[in-house]
Amino acid sequence: MKEVELDCMGEACPVPLIKAEKEMAKLDIGDVLIVQIDHSCAMKNVPEWARKEGHNVEIEEVDDGEWEVIIEKVK
Amino acid sequence: MSDSNEATSVPKTSRSRSRKPKKDQIPFAILTIVVIVVIGIILGRVNATLGLFWVFGNCFGFILQKTRFCFTASMRDPFLTGGTNVTKSVLAAFAITSIGFLAIKYGAFAKGLPIPGQSFVVPVSLATAIGAFMFGIGMVIAGGCASGTLMRVGEGFGMQILSLAFFVVGSLWGAHDMGWWQLNVILKGKAVFLPDLFGWMGALLVQMAIIVLLWIAADKWGKRKGADTTH
Repeated sequence: MKEVELDCMGEACPVPLIKAEKEMAKLDIGDVLIVQIDHSCAMKNVPEWARKEGHNVEIEEVDDGEWEVIIEKVK
Repeated sequence: MSDSNEATSVPKTSRSRSRKPKKDQIPFAILTIVVIVVIGIILGRVNATLGLFWVFGNCFGFILQKTRFCFTASMRDPFLTGGTNVTKSVLAAFAITSIGFLAIKYGAFAKGLPIPGQSFVVPVSLATAIGAFMFGIGMVIAGGCASGTLMRVGEGFGMQILSLAFFVVGSLWGAHDMGWWQLNVILKGKAVFLPDLFGWMGALLVQMAIIVLLWIAADKWGKRKGADTTH
């Protein structure tokens, strides 16, 4: 099990999602992807996409207006 | 996905990053409210309508930000992620505003007053569709439509200050050339005011039927993509 951090600070809405999708495809089951974002819109669609795909998702607000979306690949 | 049900949340990772304590935002919130109220009173003294615009603008921005309502996402996400939740909320908003607009317009009509907002009944043509398509490309690249861009500038998102600057440039350019487009393209189309065609009740029913059909389509699309695991 490995952890991969994906820095999406300063990236506007669809970009973090597309990056996360691409990064996720490279990971194995059980790996964890941590997407760092500061765009409130991505805070909604990244977790929504990941949950829809069936992964485990947790959101943490690390600072005011900065979040980490922690996604565990389960399949 | 054999054991996906046992844990709905990700187990705490090994990282123990030192988090800096968050700033207390309550004083800023109180200060902001005071400033908004003071500006509202000042604007209201100058012109009551201006004061009303200020209040509505602030409320609209607050709702947009808190609900993460995004017109761009409503049109983009069905293609990008297959998610249609935002699309459905926008359709619901359209349905509610349709009823509200009808009430305002019919209210004026029933009293024999001039119907407000009729200057916004403008011709539609192929130009509308082409323009909408171009706007769609632009808003996806810029990361937000007009209201979304303004809202995210308010959130302090740096990149969209750039979007706002060019949004202003584009609007000015558009306003500058509007006369030509009005004369040579827009007025060649046909203006349709639904109540003229179907009557007041009929117009509402037709509009609602279209919104409901789109809602059903969006719902079906969302479920179809959701079932599709080979993303």
